[in-house]
Amino acid sequence: MEWVAALLFLTVIVVLLAGFPVAFSLGGIALLFAWFGVLGGVFNEALLSGLPNRIFGIMTNETLVAVPLFVFMGITLERARIADELLETMSALFGSLRGGLGISVTLVGMLLAASTGIVGATVVTMGLLSLPTMLKRGYSPEVAAGTICASGTLGQIIPPSIILVMLGDVMTTAYQQAQLDMGIFSPKTVSVGDLFAGALVPGLLLVLLYVLYILGLAFFRPATMPAHHREQDERVSFIRVLRALVPPLLLILAVLGSILAGFATPTEAAGVGAMGALLMAAVRQQLDLERLQEIMRGTLRISSMVFLILIGASIFSLVFRGYGGDDGVRAVLEALPGGVVGAVVVVMLVMFLLGFVLDFIEITFVVVPIVGPVLLAMGLDPVWLGIMIAINLQTSFLTPPFGFALFYLRGVAPPSITTAQIYRGAMPFVAIQLLALLLLAAFPALVTWLPDRIYGG
Amino acid sequence: MLDRLSTVLGKMAAWLTLVMVFVTFVIVVMRYVFDAGLIWLQETVIWMHAFVFMVGAAYTLQKDEHVRVDIFYRKMSSRGRALVDLLGVLIFLLPLCVFLGWKAFDFVALSFRMHEASRESGGLPYPLIPLLKAILLVMPITVGLQGLAMALQSLRSLRGR
Repeated sequence: MEWVAALLFLTVIVVLLAGFPVAFSLGGIALLFAWFGVLGGVFNEALLSGLPNRIFGIMTNETLVAVPLFVFMGITLERARIADELLETMSALFGSLRGGLGISVTLVGMLLAASTGIVGATVVTMGLLSLPTMLKRGYSPEVAAGTICASGTLGQIIPPSIILVMLGDVMTTAYQQAQLDMGIFSPKTVSVGDLFAGALVPGLLLVLLYVLYILGLAFFRPATMPAHHREQDERVSFIRVLRALVPPLLLILAVLGSILAGFATPTEAAGVGAMGALLMAAVRQQLDLERLQEIMRGTLRISSMVFLILIGASIFSLVFRGYGGDDGVRAVLEALPGGVVGAVVVVMLVMFLLGFVLDFIEITFVVVPIVGPVLLAMGLDPVWLGIMIAINLQTSFLTPPFGFALFYLRGVAPPSITTAQIYRGAMPFVAIQLLALLLLAAFPALVTWLPDRIYGG
Repeated sequence: MLDRLSTVLGKMAAWLTLVMVFVTFVIVVMRYVFDAGLIWLQETVIWMHAFVFMVGAAYTLQKDEHVRVDIFYRKMSSRGRALVDLLGVLIFLLPLCVFLGWKAFDFVALSFRMHEASRESGGLPYPLIPLLKAILLVMPITVGLQGLAMALQSLRSLRGR
């Protein structure tokens, strides 16, 4: 009955395109398929009885408690205008350098765009925050749009990000299952902390490549990004720079550092980080009851959105497995020419294409549990695979003409910017992404070195 | 009316996110400063988290913040959107909620009958665990009701023209 599983997958993709909320579409379609299967005597009804227990497992998953806490931290930093102030000060600081504003945008995107896990939201935030300034200062629309899309999506894969928390949790399960399938009964584990550590070097590498590209443009095509001549009243005092830069940097470094050093679990670090963000907001007198309620309700809505997708996806994968879909996927992947390399290339291509339709969260919860165990059973490193998936998806979101990030930037960009300009601006960054993927494929140590050093392999 | 229910529940549950932050902070302080691990407190955080996203689901639906793949949806007319929403609720959302509610009922009832307590020693005691499991029933009921409201609204805007 594997063809039913394939049909289920295709139906899901087609139905999702109609635009009904993902969480309910996933669960509803899977349930319909199961129901027809039970009627036709080809689906084991007992499988469905385990459903409440699965959902209960999601409700009590300790790792994922970090998600709402990180979201809380991110929304607080955003609503308390800390991101705005960071960008303002940095561009005032570097703005008089050629390309300085572009670099500031990249760095702020890297630090602060990670809070929601929804590509659209981060790119919209970055776009509203920095596009007007970049255009006002005479940046070419291409360069401005490309920089914003790229740094907005990059923030998602630089730790601490909720995408990595979710991916880490899914990878943990996939890795255990892969080892059980291989007959290893004292399996090694992989944690969210491993993934954070593994993402750090590749993430910084990408930032470095972005910055080099912007500097190169500034040098060879100075017309695309004029230096800003600072006027007297715009001078920033050293104190103001310190006030804007140091607290958020310290907060993020403390959160990340305590996880990497093994002092704290991601959940604990996220809780303390959220507390720190609240304190920062209070000190800046940016916190009143109304804003606090916005933060809390925003956290609740994002958290509910994420976890209902997870519930929908778990119903989907239950039914997909029930029809033998995972065996089908395994058979296909193992029959590919080129062994592991062939399988990875195909999976990456498929995910890249799915990235045009589905967001990070859906792919993490729906696709990774299906292909993850098969690939890991072929002997791949789980951290490496996770990071490759993350960067691959980020590239997909940036790629014209379907990339998510480009759509959303289009939504907030002034009409004077053409869609073609946004596409052209994104292309060099897509090239950088592909270069990074090739580098990571050729030198897996770029990913695995840091986690090995920290956690001793 | 149904909208009001979701909103009130959601706004109440939202306060728990703040409590979660505080309690997690307290746990960290207790653990690293006083070297005391409080398992029941950790379980409380997990339960608050579950409560937040399960009880908040209907409110999130009402605010239309459950992610949609909106490449085409965004460009549809309001009639088209209403049609998608109406069909989606009838074909996917309501059957899903009815099914989950039905299955969850047995699950929760069993937990009450067994006088279930936390498996961790030092965890939460008996009447709490089944009560918390009952969240599993609350989600399909509230989301189902909110879905009904959504369907009625779609129907209204379809007939409006």
